[in-house]
Amino acid sequence: MAPAEPADRSARLAALLGRVALGDQRAFEALYGQTASHLYGVALRIVREPSLAEEILQEAYVSVWHHAGRYDAARSQPVTWLTSIVRNRCLDHLRRRDLDTVTLSAEEDDEPAFDVADEGLTPAELLLRGAEARSVRECVEGLEAGPRQAIALAFFQGLSHAELAAHMKEPLGTIKSWVRRGLDRLKRCLDSAGYQR
Amino acid sequence: MDLSHPDRRERLDALAAQYALGTLRGQARDRFTKAARSDPVVAAAAHAWETSLASLAEAVPAVAPPPRVWTGIAARLGLRGAGQAGLSWWQRLGFWRGFALASFAAALVLSLVQLMSPAVLPAESLVVVLAGPDARPALIATATRGDAMLTVKAVGDVRPAAGRAFELWALPEGGAPKSLGVLPPVGVAKVALPAPSGEALAKGPRARREPGAPRRIADRAADRAGALHGQGRALLLSGGVPK
Repeated sequence: MAPAEPADRSARLAALLGRVALGDQRAFEALYGQTASHLYGVALRIVREPSLAEEILQEAYVSVWHHAGRYDAARSQPVTWLTSIVRNRCLDHLRRRDLDTVTLSAEEDDEPAFDVADEGLTPAELLLRGAEARSVRECVEGLEAGPRQAIALAFFQGLSHAELAAHMKEPLGTIKSWVRRGLDRLKRCLDSAGYQR
Repeated sequence: MDLSHPDRRERLDALAAQYALGTLRGQARDRFTKAARSDPVVAAAAHAWETSLASLAEAVPAVAPPPRVWTGIAARLGLRGAGQAGLSWWQRLGFWRGFALASFAAALVLSLVQLMSPAVLPAESLVVVLAGPDARPALIATATRGDAMLTVKAVGDVRPAAGRAFELWALPEGGAPKSLGVLPPVGVAKVALPAPSGEALAKGPRARREPGAPRRIADRAADRAGALHGQGRALLLSGGVPK
């Protein structure tokens, strides 16, 4: 269980998902009202195009309406489940964009295509801010600068290894190693901190 | 490759981490997704990492999506009478926001139908029904075909928000949406049309290519009108404009 989410909110959202699984439109509306802003923020962060983020959000909720019955409260927090749906859709879209051979390097040097009004926090800062649970934050802080930044950019902006290499101006091999090492350290740290995954 | 074999535990965990982080891409991601669907051990590994990383996503600033997102979801799912959670009705219909005019703050769809019952109104009359919350009629506009004047009358308890007014919009075929004028807050309003009503209003909205919002507006207005009236065509929009 992720400790950062208040239990009552999770219970409420889980109950709504249960009702959505039964085709309850009011529950679906309520679920949307309570989660859409967070999920839209996540989608915007990753795809950085409002129109695409809107499309992804629509697809995600349509999917939730049809598949809410797959949500298993014993296995994950509602927000975790919903966020995974949105993130995976974002990555699917980014992949399609990858296939269209869009070069990121020019864009990366300039302003981002869309200002997500994120209070000016960089992905690395977000990574620390997000790690509300002390053990998670300590683990994130324990990462070296390179791996930490690579993981932050991958997580919050959906950058691939190749895009990370272009963005951070490091060889692809270095980036892959940073990400792998960073994740590995993060895992060992979380495990030893007893953070239940 | 059987990822769930105990000898490959480390490999599985590494792939699951990259999957959850998003750096696993292309065919490798497809293969992993497929494996996770059929193999609970793989699914559990992916799930564990998604959960670990999920707390990081909580830091992402929430951004309220435009109301049209919900409208689009409701339309795709065919949800009837769906309002928008926690929003008052002019906000609900505010999915016209983002529309070309900067002054546009909120808006409503009007659907125009040719009245099918000659017993109520002359056959040549055009009737516009503006739906409020719960799809109940809120404003009704009538025009006699050939007459360049539209009469708008409130039939429900419908008021614009403080400092705002409703504005009527026409969606001419193939053309840009056009303002027909601002409505007074109460009473009956007479709105001059740019052309005799039949010509100004009787043609349905025309789909336009993105990125112009009008395409969506037109489509959704048509959806809404269709849902409300079976065969109506959306022709007018109204919007709140800051005074």
